[in-house]
Amino acid sequence: MFRGGLDAEYMLNTRRGRILIENLTAYAFLGPAGCLIALFGLFPVAFAFFVSLHRWRRFPDEYIGLANYEKALGNLGYILFFWLSLLGFAATAMMARRLLKTLRRARWSAEWPALAAGAVSGFALLLTIDWFFKLIPVIMLIPRLVRGQDTSLALFMEKFGESFASSGVHEAGNAMLVGLLAAVVSLSIVLRRFRSDASGELIVFSAITTALSAGSAYLLQLTLQETELAIAQAREAGERLPVWSQLVFISAGIGMIAAAYVLFQRGIKALENRRFIFMIFSGLSLAVGGYLVMAEAPAALAAGDDDLLQGFWVTVMYAGGTVPVQLTIGLLLAYLLFQPIRFRAFFRMVYFIPYITPFVATSIVFRVIFDAGKTAPANRMLTLVGIEPQRWILERSSLGSLLGLPDFLAGPALALVVIMIYSTWTYIGYDAVIFLAGLGNIPGELYEAARIDGAGGWRIFRHITLPLLSPTIFFLSLVAIIGTFQAFTQIWILRTGAVGSKVNTASVYIFDELQNSNRYGYASSMAFVLFALILLMTLFQNRIMGRRVFYG
Amino acid sequence: MASAEISRLGVQKAPAEGPPKPLDWRRFGIYVVLFAGVLIAVGPFLWMISASFMTLSEVNLTRLLPEKLLWENYATALRRANFLDIELVSDPVTGVLQSFGVSGYIWNSVRITLITVVGSLLVCIPAAYAFARMRFVGRNFLFALFLSTMMIPGIVMLIPHLLTVIWLGRLSESLFGAAGAWFNNWPALTIPFFASVFNIFLLRQFFLQIPDDLWEAARIDGAGHPRFLVSVVLPLSKAPIMTIVTLGFIGSWNALMWPLLVTISDDWRPIAVGLSNFVTADTPGDLNLQMAASVITVIPILALYFVAQKQFTEGIAQTGIKS
Repeated sequence: MFRGGLDAEYMLNTRRGRILIENLTAYAFLGPAGCLIALFGLFPVAFAFFVSLHRWRRFPDEYIGLANYEKALGNLGYILFFWLSLLGFAATAMMARRLLKTLRRARWSAEWPALAAGAVSGFALLLTIDWFFKLIPVIMLIPRLVRGQDTSLALFMEKFGESFASSGVHEAGNAMLVGLLAAVVSLSIVLRRFRSDASGELIVFSAITTALSAGSAYLLQLTLQETELAIAQAREAGERLPVWSQLVFISAGIGMIAAAYVLFQRGIKALENRRFIFMIFSGLSLAVGGYLVMAEAPAALAAGDDDLLQGFWVTVMYAGGTVPVQLTIGLLLAYLLFQPIRFRAFFRMVYFIPYITPFVATSIVFRVIFDAGKTAPANRMLTLVGIEPQRWILERSSLGSLLGLPDFLAGPALALVVIMIYSTWTYIGYDAVIFLAGLGNIPGELYEAARIDGAGGWRIFRHITLPLLSPTIFFLSLVAIIGTFQAFTQIWILRTGAVGSKVNTASVYIFDELQNSNRYGYASSMAFVLFALILLMTLFQNRIMGRRVFYG
Repeated sequence: MASAEISRLGVQKAPAEGPPKPLDWRRFGIYVVLFAGVLIAVGPFLWMISASFMTLSEVNLTRLLPEKLLWENYATALRRANFLDIELVSDPVTGVLQSFGVSGYIWNSVRITLITVVGSLLVCIPAAYAFARMRFVGRNFLFALFLSTMMIPGIVMLIPHLLTVIWLGRLSESLFGAAGAWFNNWPALTIPFFASVFNIFLLRQFFLQIPDDLWEAARIDGAGHPRFLVSVVLPLSKAPIMTIVTLGFIGSWNALMWPLLVTISDDWRPIAVGLSNFVTADTPGDLNLQMAASVITVIPILALYFVAQKQFTEGIAQTGIKS
C-alpha cells in the first residue's frame, strides 16, 4: 500500500491515499467519543457481570460463581442462567444461518480460508477478553495497595507493571498474544491470496459465530457447574434442591402460556366454526401453563431475597398504577388541545412545566402537600369533602385495606399511591405534548371523509384517531414503563422511615444495598436481573404491542 | 418514529378549521377542562411560592396566602442550605476588592453544567460529524454499537462506573497530586457524561441535512473535513447545539443518584443532592424554609424554560428523557 512512500504528494493525489486519509481523519474525530463510550458505555456491562460473580466490597474478593444470583432469586437464579445460555445459543444459530446464506452465494472451496481466518479471529477475541478479565481484579487492587503510601506516579506504575506479570494474567496474556498473532497472519493470508467479494462478510460472521458459541458454551458450563455444586451442597446438608424439576416445570409452564397466546392469535384469525377449537386449546394451555408456573415459581423463589422480590412487586404496581392513567389523561388533554381553541401555545407551555422542573424540588412540594398532619393541604381537601384525614406518606397500610378490602386485593401502600400521584402529575404534560404532535401528523382529509360518511365524534376518535395514533401510544408506553423501572429521585425524596421498604422499587433497593452496605457483587447481580427483565419486557412489548401498531 | 413527531412539534399550527367560532357550550366545556389542567399543573408551584413566604405555623395550617411576605425565609434557606455564598474581601484601608470567592451548591451545579456541556460538545461534535459526513470502515457497525449503549439501564452501569472512577482517580492522583482526584471532585461528576450517545445522535441527524453542495464547494476551495466542520457546519448548527446546552443544563441540575454516590463533601456537591440533604436530614420540620429552598432550585430552570422553550420541547420530545 505504501509503495510510493508516505510523502504528501502520494497521499493527496491517489485515490487510495485519499481514502486512507479520510479513514484516519474519521477515526481521529471518533477517537475521544469512542474511548469514552467504550469505557463508560460498553465495558461497564461486561464489568458489572464480572463483579456479580464475585464477593466484592469496594475491592475484589473471592470468586463465588452464581451465589449472588442464588441469594437474589433462589433457584430461579440458576434457571434464569439456563435460559440465558439457551438465548445465547439461539443467537449463535441465527448468526450461523446468516453465515450459511452468504456461503450459498460463494463457492465453498474458495471460501474456507476466510471462514477459518474468521474463526481464528473469534478465538483471538475471546482470548483477549479472557486476559482482560484476569487482569481487572489485579489492577483493581492497586488503589488499595498504594493507599496510605506516598502516591507517586512511579509507585503506581510499578504496581501496574507488576499486575501484568502476576501469575494467571501472564499466561493468559501469552495466550492472547499467540491468538492475536495467529489472527493477523491468517487474516493477511486470506486478504492477499484468497480475497473475494464475500470474504469480508464471511470473516466477520464467522468470527461472531465463533465468539457467540464459545460465550454461550461458557455460560452453560458455568450454570451446570454451579447448579451441580449447589445440589451437592444441599445433599450434604441432608436436603434436596429440586433445580432440575423446577427448570423443566417452569420452562414448560412458560412455554404453554406462550403457546396459549399463539393459539389465541390463530383463533381470532380462524374461520368461525374452527375458532371454538382454537379457543378451547388456548384456554387449556393457559390454565395448565399458569398452574405449572404458579405451583413451581414460589418454591423456586423461596430462597430468594424478599426485599428484592418486594421491590419487583412494587415496581409492577407502580407501573400499573401510573402508566395507563397518565397516558389516558395525556391523550384526553392532547385531544382537547387539538380542537380549534385559543391559547393553545399557552396551555402546552404550562402543561410541560411539571416535567421540566427538577424532580427533587417538586417532590419536596408533594412531601409537604401529602404530609400526615391533619391540616396539611391534601388532608384539608379530604376534610372539605367529608373524608377522614389520612397519614399519606407515613402510611404503610395499603389503599385497599383502608377501604376495607381483603388482603389479596389490597394493592399498594398509601405512601406508594402518593408517589404514583406525583409521577402521574409529572408525566401528563409530557405525554400530552407528544400526543399533540402525533395528532398533528394525522392527515385532515381522513377526518373530512369520515364526517362525510356520517361518523360522529366518538366513532371518529375510535376508528381514525386511535389507530393512527398507535405508534405514539406505543412509544409513550414503552418510555413510561422503562421510566418506572428507572425511577429514583421521587422515591428517594417521598419515602419516609415509617413506611420502610414498602415503597422501594427494585432499583431503589439496589441503590440502598450499594450505598449502605457496599455489597458491590450482590448489587451488581440484582442490577443484572433487572436489566434482563427490562430487556425481556421490551422484547415482549415489541412483539405483542408492536404488532398492533398501525404505521399507516 | 419519534423523530417524525418531533419535527412538527415546535412549528405546529392550528388545524385548518377556520377562525374559532363564537362560544358554544361544547367549547366552554373544553376550556373548563383545560383550565382545570392548568390549575393542577401549576397549583403545587403557586402554593410552593406562597408557602415560601409564610411563617411555619401558616404552612402547617395550609393558609393559601401569607399574612406578610417573609423574605427572610430566602436568606435563611440560602445560608442554612449552603446554596450560594459569595465572599468579597476588600482591603480595609483602600476599599479595593482583593479577592472574591463563590461557593455553595448552586455554584457547584453551574460549574458542573459548564464543564459537562463544553466537554460534551467537544467530544460529540467531531464524532457526529464523522458519522454523518465521512466514509470509513465500520461506520454503521460503530454507530449501531454506540446506539445500543442507550438501552442499558443506569443502575447496571452504576457500580462499574464507580469502580472505574475510583481507579482512574487514583491514577490521576499519582499523576497530578491531590488536585487530580476524581472521586468527590469534578471529573467523577462530568467526564462519564462527555460522550453522550444522545448528543451524537441529535447532531448527526442535523449534520445529515446539510446540503452536499456546500461540501463540494468547500472542497473545491481546498478545505478538508476539519476546516469544513469549523467554518461551515458549526455556524449552521446553532439550533441543535442550543438543544444540547439546555438539556445538559436540566440534566446536571436534576442529577441525584450518581452525585449521591461520588460526593462526600460540599466542595462539588450539586444542588439536587444539597436540596435533598437539606430536606431529609437537616431541617425535618422547617417546611417554609424547604419551600423557599425549592423555589430557589426551580427558578433557574423555569427562567431557562421561558427563554428557550422551543429547545426544551423539541429536545425532550426527541430524547423522550429528561436527564
